[in-house]
Amino acid sequence: MKNQLKVLRAMRNWSQADLGEHLDVSRQAVNAIETGKYDPSLPLAFKISRLFELPIEEIFDDEFDGGQHDRS
Amino acid sequence: MTNLTEASMIDRDEIAGSNGRSIMWIIISSLGIVMTAGAVAGYLAEHEAQGGGSLGTAGMLTLGVFAAIIIGLAFAIWRNVRKMKASNEVLTRREKLNRNYVWGFGLAGGAIGLCLAFYDIRFGTSATGPALILADSPVSPVIALILAFFWAVIMPVTLWFWHKRAIDEQEASAYRDGGYYSAYAFLIGAPTWWMLWRGGLAPEPDGVVIFMLFALLWSAVWFWKKYR
Repeated sequence: MKNQLKVLRAMRNWSQADLGEHLDVSRQAVNAIETGKYDPSLPLAFKISRLFELPIEEIFDDEFDGGQHDRS
Repeated sequence: MTNLTEASMIDRDEIAGSNGRSIMWIIISSLGIVMTAGAVAGYLAEHEAQGGGSLGTAGMLTLGVFAAIIIGLAFAIWRNVRKMKASNEVLTRREKLNRNYVWGFGLAGGAIGLCLAFYDIRFGTSATGPALILADSPVSPVIALILAFFWAVIMPVTLWFWHKRAIDEQEASAYRDGGYYSAYAFLIGAPTWWMLWRGGLAPEPDGVVIFMLFALLWSAVWFWKKYR
């Protein structure tokens, strides 16, 4: 899943370890989420959302296009 | 909102990445050193059993090769540790706790392994080198009780705290995936081996080998999922 985590933490001048401390997870976990190799649980996604004061869908993008496929 | 682009955000985390490759080489090299040291101990024990005395040119050459392997592996560890230090990786509180647990388990396991290997060389099996891992010669009841207590009481309690305090959800997920892979491998592999043995096509199933393959696969998948 694509996300804005890297940009958001850079805006606060945080390293991955700094963000990990805020979220109580390891730097590896932050790295894995940023690179899209691991999708966070819903509780962790909410924690991230509260930390950056942004709605979840502004941080994470599941690339859902609204289901508007051509079904003809 | 911002003019920051991902391309301009190269920081120490970028250099560190997951550090998985370095950690993998450190683990492989460490295991290599332990196994080579076991081979040296076995070689010397065998030499002693055959009357001892001077090792001779061939013996010195063999030990020289073993020493070169150990030095090469130690160099690989040093190089990878330096590489990790160069990335200035900062550990979070959880990671420090996790690392301390792993070191504690590693040292305890290493100490137990070394004691058992020396015990086996001195009193038990004729196995040498890496084969010592599969040694199953009898040990004294006191040693058996101490090891069983460590495995059945200390390990579960420590692991419970480890899972609660040291690891995070990403690592827990890696463990779960490792569990799935190894459980399916066990459920499929063990009966297959058993059937082949009944048909006279394979040696008798060995519980220790099955256990080690199970643990190895679990660890490999955990590592891949955590550090890829």
